[in-house]
Amino acid sequence: MLPVLANLTLICYACATGLALAYLVQREEIVHRLAGLATMAGWVIHSIALVVLVVESGRPPFGSLAEAVSMAVWVVVLLEMLVERQYQIPALGAFVMPVALVLSLKSSAARPATLQQLGEAFRGAWVWVHIALAMVGIAAFVLNFAGALMYLLQERQLKAKRPGAFYYRLPDLQTLDRLTYRTLALGFPFLTTGLILGAVWARSTWSAVLTLDPLASLSSLAWAIYAATLAGRAVAGLHGRRAAYFAVFGFTMLVLTLGAGLFLPGRHGS
Amino acid sequence: MALVVAGLNHRNAPIALREQLAVEEDKLRELIRDVQATGVTTETVLLSTCNRVEVYAVADAPGEARAAVFRRLCQHRGVDPASLEPIVYTHVDEEAIRHTFRVAASLDSMMVGEPQILGQVKDAFALAQACETVGPTLHTLFSQAFAVAKRVRTDTDIARHAVSVSFAAVGLAKKIFAGLTGRAVLLVGAGKMSELAAKHLVDQGAFPIYVANRTWSRAQEMARALAGTAVPFAELDTALGSVDIVVTSTGAPEPVIGRELVQRVMHDRRGRPLFFIDIAVPRDVEESVETLDDVYCYDIDDLKQVVDANMRERAREAQRAEALVEREVQKFTARLRDVEVVPTIVSLRERLESIRLAELKRALARVPAATAETRDAMDALSSAIVNKILHAPVTKLRESGRAGAGRSWTTLVQELFGLGRKA
Repeated sequence: MLPVLANLTLICYACATGLALAYLVQREEIVHRLAGLATMAGWVIHSIALVVLVVESGRPPFGSLAEAVSMAVWVVVLLEMLVERQYQIPALGAFVMPVALVLSLKSSAARPATLQQLGEAFRGAWVWVHIALAMVGIAAFVLNFAGALMYLLQERQLKAKRPGAFYYRLPDLQTLDRLTYRTLALGFPFLTTGLILGAVWARSTWSAVLTLDPLASLSSLAWAIYAATLAGRAVAGLHGRRAAYFAVFGFTMLVLTLGAGLFLPGRHGS
Repeated sequence: MALVVAGLNHRNAPIALREQLAVEEDKLRELIRDVQATGVTTETVLLSTCNRVEVYAVADAPGEARAAVFRRLCQHRGVDPASLEPIVYTHVDEEAIRHTFRVAASLDSMMVGEPQILGQVKDAFALAQACETVGPTLHTLFSQAFAVAKRVRTDTDIARHAVSVSFAAVGLAKKIFAGLTGRAVLLVGAGKMSELAAKHLVDQGAFPIYVANRTWSRAQEMARALAGTAVPFAELDTALGSVDIVVTSTGAPEPVIGRELVQRVMHDRRGRPLFFIDIAVPRDVEESVETLDDVYCYDIDDLKQVVDANMRERAREAQRAEALVEREVQKFTARLRDVEVVPTIVSLRERLESIRLAELKRALARVPAATAETRDAMDALSSAIVNKILHAPVTKLRESGRAGAGRSWTTLVQELFGLGRKA
């Protein structure tokens, strides 16, 4: 049942990605509506899959990094649908769904381990909170990245004074800058608390703060970038293009972090 | 009965002729009644704008209708009918529907996508309604044309991007700022063009407006016209700090806004963008200003480039609109054709059903001892026979309606079965 649901979710997200990108080029209202429908369908199936996972394994649906990433994708897609309506950015899907699709390609369809099989690292509630918070943070940063990318594209069009496709399809700069700021402000506390909990947990379980774990060290780098951006925005008037570069940089680090966790051996590896 | 559109427009008739033929509202009433009184048309709508003079009508003979209308129009306006003969186009049925939809959706306009024409069509329709020359056919046609026009406006971006320089500037401002409500505007120099741009910005909610001009009285005059405030030219620096959009149009030979000034101003703005619309030639804003962060500076050539891009965008959208209109034309044509045959089908069914019921009653009266089962069987038998007989003619009528030959077949069926002439 789970692999079927996982595949269905993936198919829906793939369709949504394709349609959202097609909408950028075609701008037929019907394409946009279909993209929204595919996104919604994917998200609903994804939700069912998560519930089934919880029921079958008797634990929260993020017992491995791959599962956790899938959980993050679920939050990303939810945020995408909300932000698209709230900010009136019909082109948003074209920037978020490809990221969501790539991330969900990694979420494994293998039979999930039960609580007993997970081992001692998963005894206790804090580790679950650590994962959940970190994933919500990462989801917000996917939106942050999309907002920054749109800002950079729109700013370039306006500075170059040759309106192209993006000029017509993307919203105004202030809206995009605001979106980037808000998603940063949303994601940062989650990521921060998540990382602290992880460190504290690691110390109490392995009597070390995982300094040699590739995911842990890279994620502190990503955290530092976001911390600097947020501080810059809050007190030093950092905004617009520079803030957008920081968002892209921070997200690159975050993707490297997840990649390291998935492919390099370490405490987070499966 | 056929749907007819006959007329001339900006594409085939020179402006001099269109001027001569344009009819004001009072005369239009008179003309529309005159035409209807001839009996050549059963329904009539007259559309007269500076770009087109057209009659929309339902008539038996399209050619006669066209001749009757334009003969009268020429009499009214003192134009030789012979001079119109080669210019006036006539569209019938499907072509007429297509033409009506395209006109209302502003696809046949001189400036494709400009919305005034829809209002003009609506006025013409209302006038004809007031003159009681609109019947069911034109009513359906125009209602549908308005719906199609609305869909074209909502489903395509045909009228979204401005094709004039001052409107293009507003469009740009909307891509920089999140809404123009409450954005402060500074006019430097008091030219006609900057006033126009400022008016568009005010229409979008921009407020307050400051006017700086070397001639103080001119600044005050323009500030009054825009409900704004005049600022002394010497205080330009201070004003720059508090506004979002600057429209410059002075006749100064050297730039009046230099890079250093803008750099200083931007420092205190904490990232609030500043948008320069420089429509002066020679330019009022130093060229290097545009390399500053959060500063967007468009001179008149840049704005023209945006207008060109907008035009291309509009042309693309017009293609999508054409496809949409075509689908609607097909749907509407099919609907009209169905409407043509449906009344005949209904009366044919009613006719046979009434015969069946009468005969059934008589037959049952003759066998009073019949059981309920026998009665049911007789009822079913008669129904089955009627339906089998009806099947072929009804199918044929539907098909002929769809193929556009409904009229001759309905007449034939009505004659054959002695139906009242309803359709």
